[in-house]
Amino acid sequence: MKQRTLWSVVLATGLAVTGCGSAAPTQSSPGEPRSKIVVWDWKSGEPGVTSYIEKAKADFATKHPDVTVEFVAQPFDQYYTLLGAATQSGKGPDVMLFNGGGQIRDRVDGLLPLDQYVAEDKQRLAGWDAFSKDGTIYAAPVTLQGHPIYYNKSLYQKAGLDPANPPKTWDEFVSDCAAINKAAGAKCFALGNKEGFGIQFFMSGLGPGILTPKEYDDWIAGKRDWTSPHVKEIFSLWKKVNDDGLNNDGANSTALFNDAFALFNTGKSATVIGLMSDVGHWKDFGEFLGADQVGVMTAPVVTSGATSVLPYDGGIGYGVAKSTKDPELAADLVRSLTSTGALTAFYTGAGAITSDTTIDVSQGAPAVAAIVPQIKDGKPALHVALSSTTLDLMGRLSQQLLSGSVSVDEAVRQLAASDKVS
Amino acid sequence: MVRSAAAERTTGARFERPGRHGGTGGIPRGARAERLAPFVLVAPAVLIIVALRLWPLLLGVNFSFTGDGERNGTSVGFDNYAQLLDDPLFRTALRNVGLLVVLLPVAVAIPGLLATFIYLRVPGHRLFRGVYFFPAVLSPVIVGAIFNLMLGFDGPLNAALGAIGLGPIDWLGDPGVAMFTVIGVHVWATFGMALVVFLAGFSTLDAALLDAARMDGASLPRIIWHVIIPGLSRTIQFVFVTTMIGMLTSMFGLLYVMTSGGPEGSTYLPEFYVWIQQGRMNRPALASAASTVLFLIMLVVGILQVSVLRRAGRED
Amino acid sequence: MPGKRLGRWMVAVPMALLALATVYPLVFTTNVAMKTRREYILDRFSPTTSLHLENIAAAWNSVGMARYFANSLIVVTASVILLLLFGSMAGFALSQLRFRGSSALFLGCLAALFVPFQVIMVPLARVMADSGLIDTYPGLILAYVAQFLPFTIFLMTSHYRTIPVEIIHAARIDGNSTYGVYRRIMIPLGAPALLSVGILDALFCWNDVLIALLMMPSPEHRTLMVGVTSLRGQYSDNIPQFASGVLIAAIPVLLLYLFLQRQIADGVTAGSTKG
Repeated sequence: MKQRTLWSVVLATGLAVTGCGSAAPTQSSPGEPRSKIVVWDWKSGEPGVTSYIEKAKADFATKHPDVTVEFVAQPFDQYYTLLGAATQSGKGPDVMLFNGGGQIRDRVDGLLPLDQYVAEDKQRLAGWDAFSKDGTIYAAPVTLQGHPIYYNKSLYQKAGLDPANPPKTWDEFVSDCAAINKAAGAKCFALGNKEGFGIQFFMSGLGPGILTPKEYDDWIAGKRDWTSPHVKEIFSLWKKVNDDGLNNDGANSTALFNDAFALFNTGKSATVIGLMSDVGHWKDFGEFLGADQVGVMTAPVVTSGATSVLPYDGGIGYGVAKSTKDPELAADLVRSLTSTGALTAFYTGAGAITSDTTIDVSQGAPAVAAIVPQIKDGKPALHVALSSTTLDLMGRLSQQLLSGSVSVDEAVRQLAASDKVS
Repeated sequence: MVRSAAAERTTGARFERPGRHGGTGGIPRGARAERLAPFVLVAPAVLIIVALRLWPLLLGVNFSFTGDGERNGTSVGFDNYAQLLDDPLFRTALRNVGLLVVLLPVAVAIPGLLATFIYLRVPGHRLFRGVYFFPAVLSPVIVGAIFNLMLGFDGPLNAALGAIGLGPIDWLGDPGVAMFTVIGVHVWATFGMALVVFLAGFSTLDAALLDAARMDGASLPRIIWHVIIPGLSRTIQFVFVTTMIGMLTSMFGLLYVMTSGGPEGSTYLPEFYVWIQQGRMNRPALASAASTVLFLIMLVVGILQVSVLRRAGRED
Repeated sequence: MPGKRLGRWMVAVPMALLALATVYPLVFTTNVAMKTRREYILDRFSPTTSLHLENIAAAWNSVGMARYFANSLIVVTASVILLLLFGSMAGFALSQLRFRGSSALFLGCLAALFVPFQVIMVPLARVMADSGLIDTYPGLILAYVAQFLPFTIFLMTSHYRTIPVEIIHAARIDGNSTYGVYRRIMIPLGAPALLSVGILDALFCWNDVLIALLMMPSPEHRTLMVGVTSLRGQYSDNIPQFASGVLIAAIPVLLLYLFLQRQIADGVTAGSTKG
């Protein structure tokens, strides 16, 4: 009953607004020759993305010359709140950008299933899982986001280590760090955990070396065994790394973006668990350290039997609102936004590793040439499988672990309880 | 904000009338227009406040009894409220509101003292009066960003402390310290406004009284206690209310940039909680319940404050 | 009295430090605005060696700041005028006229004062959408008026309460109606308060991001602070360009304050030197 009232209000609003003819970008009367699609994102205002948007628009224009596309760049801080408010008041966009994982899965009831529209792209693009729920696709991936472990080759060299042969096991890794600290005074990790993001990167970056392949796959499939000693190991290692002084000081008050990355950029830390796209990635680091000084290693093996794979998911992707007037048109725009031409422009302009696996990156920086071949065997990142609520809790618990106000057992217990509920 | 102060200037010492202000008397009786005049005068304000503040608030209260996610639109009774009380983060947020109320006198005393010194013509008072207002014009986003740098673990403040032999303090990373840090920055960013109010209030102070006290060789604390505080009671009350509102409703921007509620959730405030549940967690109904609780608390605090102020006004 | 002089300097030195601390952020912001992103990451504090004015130009050009600036001017001006008008009308009625329900009204106004915007954000967006006001100038102006009106009424009421009844009596005897009293007495006598409340209201509206974002979704309707905030990006990446935007937004407000500060200060000195 209540639901129905709500919908009638929404409907009435839509009608009223059309009637008023006020600035209502999403509305267009059928008689008009030109219709308009409104896209929301937080990217299109950035300088490095301009050529990508232009390419996508041009691609779309060849298919639908009579349709105008309007990109609205929202501040990311407020993006999801604005999106929620706009959707609830019936003023949402037709096409919108999402982060993969929890952010889109929590909002699928307002989204159009895209399976029938993107069937042709399924092979060409990677990262669909992050934009799917219960086997249905709700957005097409634009970039891939993952957590390679970057290291500073010149620091390795300074410590008399071979920069071309990064450590394979955790013990080697720790002893290399000690050598670097002695030779160059640099810390092992650059860690920013102010927002509680540090633990997410740590879990996903080092997790492949901690969980056994079976545990890993089960975790992703939703069968998470929080009682496993290896799961507990993730958190005790998190604490131990900090207690042993491998992190920069004050990790709980260091912002991951971009203070922790700045520590790595300025050679104050030897390694950082970074990103593949957007920021804190090979291109960023290369600008400061020199592209050939940025190394990429796989997760050092902690548990024997663990296989180090690249943890990655779909990063950002475009979805279509259920309420859009012409779903086919909107889906076509999504396809233009994920066309090879557009994504190539994204790769060269912003240094993002895009979802399109056919783009040739062999001419790129050594680090990117090292990352891309791993995509084929990569697996979804551990933290992306968790709900927003559990991630939020994990952020707080991780800070408490660093400050010593909660035990590892208690933290794992709370996380298990939260994970079970959501 | 300068208004009450400016007000005291226009009336000077005449403001001793206790509490009562109405009673203009002498209204030409019978005139319908005259009888309706007060209602006409308040009508636009009432309409706007009712339609755009109270009505949304009621909608929100109504919404708080429905569910989120799969239970969207169905009535869930007091479930959301039960969940709130169960959430340690929300309890922290309420505790922090208590902390704000406790620290309120400090936030009032600082600009009060500074205004006293400026009034007493401390060297450089003209310059101080000009520049102390500067932070108030900067948006909280940039203020927060700058203090993030200043208060970083390896930032300049800790470096300065280290130079005089004091250990580094993790200003924004220690859950026992962070809330005080944020409040401190908020006070820093807004004391200029209160200062202007105080300065305007001083202009109504009877200088002869002050001179007499100085002649008698009274110490500064005694002058403040016996001359300035009683003389400025109305201004002080006023600053109390406005500072309170500033602290309780507009620390969001700073919180967002400086701590995002952390570390360990220690710097949550209810409005931040509402925001997080709304945006990041996609739980609008739970956010509405939190909003309702917050409103009730604010209402109680507001009424308490008004009654305290009224009593103080009567004692004048 | 040398001892006394010493005491004064002991107060003045910390106060001077505080003054430095209040000016420094502006200096810092200006300094950062001149740096390139690379220079900023490598060293945030040191004075910039090269003047990269292109940040400011880029900030101004990149997202159509000129348009946003005009939007802000329109919205803030209209909001402040309405706020002062409605605020002084209600303040007058609540402070000087006795009528049924006046104290309840004043209490309701105070209660509204204590509601953070986050609390009514979503329902308000819905009300605005229902009435077709979303994404229009009147919509945003009304939202600002609703947000800051309780504050304005509160201030105007407490100011008008200090106006002696005798003045109003005299005006009545001269044959003024209630409206006449409002126009001929309350407006002129309220001028200093209106001025300072107006500055504060203007400051609040000018610096607001959240309300504007919510009420004005289309890019061509953005206000200046919204434009500046969007310069931050998801990862607060290009801080120098953001700082440039902040400067652009802060300069008009600083000028306004410096311009009006003299009038406020004049009043203060006039009061403190008498007697």
